Amino acid sequence: MERIQKLTATISLLVSLFLFSGCDKTPPITNTMLDGEVLFDPSLYQPEFYLASYAHPTPSVAEKSKPILIASHGYSASTFEWNEFRDWSVGKGDYYLSQVLLGGHGRTYLDFKNATWHDWQTSITDEYERLVAKGYTNISFVGSSTGGTLLLELVSSGYFNGKVAPRHIFLVDPIVISSDKSLSLIGLVGPMLGYVEADNTTEEDKYWYHYRPQETLQQLMNVISKVRVDLEKGVTLPVGTSMKIYKSKHDATADAVSAVLIYRGVKTATAYKVDIDMVESNLHVFTRLLLRSNVSDADKQNQKAAFNDILNRVIE
Amino acid sequence: MQKFTQSRLLIFFFLSGLLFHLNAQQSMLDVGVRLQKTVNLYVENGFSVQYSHPHFLSDKLYVGASFVTSRLGTAYHSNAIPQDNYIVSASWLFRKNHLLRPFARLNSGYFSADYGDPIFDDLSQKSLLLSPEFGVTIQPHIPLKMSFSFGYNLIAGDGLSGPGTLFPLYLQTTISWNVFKN
Repeated sequence: MERIQKLTATISLLVSLFLFSGCDKTPPITNTMLDGEVLFDPSLYQPEFYLASYAHPTPSVAEKSKPILIASHGYSASTFEWNEFRDWSVGKGDYYLSQVLLGGHGRTYLDFKNATWHDWQTSITDEYERLVAKGYTNISFVGSSTGGTLLLELVSSGYFNGKVAPRHIFLVDPIVISSDKSLSLIGLVGPMLGYVEADNTTEEDKYWYHYRPQETLQQLMNVISKVRVDLEKGVTLPVGTSMKIYKSKHDATADAVSAVLIYRGVKTATAYKVDIDMVESNLHVFTRLLLRSNVSDADKQNQKAAFNDILNRVIE
Repeated sequence: MQKFTQSRLLIFFFLSGLLFHLNAQQSMLDVGVRLQKTVNLYVENGFSVQYSHPHFLSDKLYVGASFVTSRLGTAYHSNAIPQDNYIVSASWLFRKNHLLRPFARLNSGYFSADYGDPIFDDLSQKSLLLSPEFGVTIQPHIPLKMSFSFGYNLIAGDGLSGPGTLFPLYLQTTISWNVFKN
């Protein structure tokens, strides 16, 4: 009888835990956060300022071969992440920039919570397909953090097969292995957490989600796991596509070993290794310095060197 | 060369004598394979040896050594990172003479990864290992043992220090044979 009582108590506890973990946990969102229902990514209102397909919808024959760079940001971020590159590159080269807002991002917390990594990625392919449909042929990509991971997945899944091949793919601090190893346990502990709070400043809260729903962390884990396995099997770039990795050596978000896995796993169509630059930096997405405190001269030099290298390769 | 051969012979006779001595006293020496899967990372396989002294907490306290490597797992014929785990451990098995025996184990050791290119030499590739492990051993009245457990690496990479492919949670199975049991 005592054993039955113990068993009943254990089952009750497990059921309670299950019910508790199944409860909706809504964070205390304010209107000064991107998570709220007031601040949205500006590209949603004025896509012509952010997307080349909207800004230049009817290219001339000459314009169709003009270099285009599609820039995608990282998990929980917004188009803001590539604003500095846009501003810096004005007058430095004859090219078009498309700053893509990943699906589910830059909107409300619920929109973010309900989106999958496929939704995140669709914004990139939508812009690429709009540009290709308009006749553009010289298209390159740059992705920061998860933006880079999504680009890798496009290549590994064969998305570009039979399509206009990208000219260059640039990865800035791509994430394949998270620095925070507790992400590997998100499937176990996520439902109990509900969401995770980011350590943003008030100003950063306008451009990055402050609260990260556990569902989105699971999506992040899903896509980086898929890409890791794809890299283990080997990924070959489309014919005519080059790749360069820029990776911060000391990165508390995307472990530097991510670069090792990409470098080992990706080959060009002619079986060469891809280009890589291991950057002496302790920033994640070292190309974004706006709104950071304590930006050093070395940080500025790293940013400028990467910007110059990316732009020179795009317009060469 | 002659000296080297003599030394090897001496070691061979010493080890043979030691094994015979231990065997005569019904020690437990479980030798087997260890299959390990890190949650959301690699499969790493290898070998395990666990020893229990006949006169000191016999068949309860085990000391052991294991070696698991991704070279015999995910990194075999793939681009995964080759990495090796050299582990020493102390285990306590509960419920002596039962078929199902829960156990607790403390592991320590050395982790080493090979990133394969000098451009990554600045990144951390080696680490101390330290992990508690809990599980159950199935111990029928034959020399065969099977253990299933999960362990938690207390030292893991965090992007700023430690190897990036040293993850916290792993599951392992060991299938072993007591080579001293007649």
